[in-house]
Amino acid sequence: MQSEKRLYSILFFCIVGLFVASTCFARYNPFEIFFNLENFQAFIVDDFFPPAIPTGLKLKAIFQGILTTICMALSATSVAAVLAFVTALFASKRVSPIQKSPKFVRGFATFLRNIPALVWAFILFSSLGIGTGVGFIALCISSYAFMVRAFAETIDDISQDNLESLQAAGASFIQVVFHGILPSCLRGFISWFLYCIEVNLRSSTVVGMVGGGGIGLVLLSYLKGFKYNMSFTIILAIAVMVLLVDALTNYLRKELDLE
Amino acid sequence: MEPILTFDHVTKRYGNGVCALKDVSLSVRPGEFISIIGPSGSGKSTLLRSINKLISTTEGNIFFDGENVSALRGGRLRKNRSKIGMIFQNYNLVYNLSVLQNVLHGRLGHMSGIRGILGLYPEEDKEKAWTLLEEMGLEKFCYNKAGSLSGGQKQRVGIARAIIQDPKILLCDEPIASLDPSSAKVIMDLLKSTAQKRGIPCLVNLHQVDVAMRYSTRIIGLHAGEIVFDGEPESLSDSVLERIYGTSVTNLVAGTSDEKDWQQAYAV
Repeated sequence: MQSEKRLYSILFFCIVGLFVASTCFARYNPFEIFFNLENFQAFIVDDFFPPAIPTGLKLKAIFQGILTTICMALSATSVAAVLAFVTALFASKRVSPIQKSPKFVRGFATFLRNIPALVWAFILFSSLGIGTGVGFIALCISSYAFMVRAFAETIDDISQDNLESLQAAGASFIQVVFHGILPSCLRGFISWFLYCIEVNLRSSTVVGMVGGGGIGLVLLSYLKGFKYNMSFTIILAIAVMVLLVDALTNYLRKELDLE
Repeated sequence: MEPILTFDHVTKRYGNGVCALKDVSLSVRPGEFISIIGPSGSGKSTLLRSINKLISTTEGNIFFDGENVSALRGGRLRKNRSKIGMIFQNYNLVYNLSVLQNVLHGRLGHMSGIRGILGLYPEEDKEKAWTLLEEMGLEKFCYNKAGSLSGGQKQRVGIARAIIQDPKILLCDEPIASLDPSSAKVIMDLLKSTAQKRGIPCLVNLHQVDVAMRYSTRIIGLHAGEIVFDGEPESLSDSVLERIYGTSVTNLVAGTSDEKDWQQAYAV
């Protein structure tokens, strides 16, 4: 008990020390926001409020932007999921037909995963140019890498037992995949897939801002044009979009009994 | 009769130095019902799994149905496995699929190409699965998910899945270890009758010596990977049991060959 207390106080002072050190190093003033609170408040209240009501072409552009963003997230996640499933078979220690493949495939996936979607977007935009297609690829890569890992863990978690029985009956690797792994892991896969859709929807908005198109690009153009009232409307629209999709995935989880 | 299965000086050493099988030689003839007994870790599971090469051996040869199992790979290994039915302690069913689909899995080894991948089983296989499930008393549960059945019912599905393979031998890896005594009796009776009716030899790993005595035509005792007994149940004496389990018979629950001794052991 005594030693635990001491540990906590040491930890506390360490955190304070780190905070001070990093503030000095980065040369920023953590209290700036309080000094500028008035400006900040004015910016929000005067510039952003009230949200503008879009009409005609503007309304159409916003709806089209949201639709593009949702489509980009959905298609990227779906394509990534199919590719990830095939790859995950070789990343699983239990089912991989090649003994040494899990190590390499997992290493490769970890490498891809540690680069965020936004960084992929910048890399791809500078080499392939901007556009929805390139944004799609950026989202694909990051969610693919994530799902390879998640699917491989799911496959490893289900008992090896039912795979053994299929092998013992003389089933081939592909037959084991379709009759053993797929039916027993499908729930787990769908659960991860829905999670990835949620993540990708948020990412696709940001990727859109840097050149991927969709609602992100619409928002950026209004922000750059100092049309803050309309920007605020779009931010609200994005929030509603995210909430609605989250509600939908939650509903699907409940209906499919995934929880 | 010609033996269907022969072990010729088979040894299995694992990577960690454990020797699971030591110079094992035996042969199995059609119609035999053989129980393999021995303490945990004595190599019972390894012995069964080396027959269909779920585990490959280190030395020696295993001949099954005229082929050297140790040399088989790929398509020929699959073909060989399709002739060997296997029943597991944990049933090893795919719980999200129906009982009927689980039984039909036994036919996968006979199928190839796109039909095998999509599970487009021939009509006669489905009829056969249905008849087998009737024989197992499970026709009412055909379309239920395998996961919703009780332990004894799951094992009956496991038996049906093995029998539909038209196997030339049945390997049973502790088929009743996870079952209550009455389900265990049902399963053992079913195993014996279905195998006998079709003349399929059975190799059964068992922990229960009394069950082995009651059902087997022959008992093999393993101790630390070596065969220390191979003979008829009648000749399984207390001293042999002590050699198999490495402890005095009085330390074995239900381990004595004589019902009376057993009662006495409990009375004390």
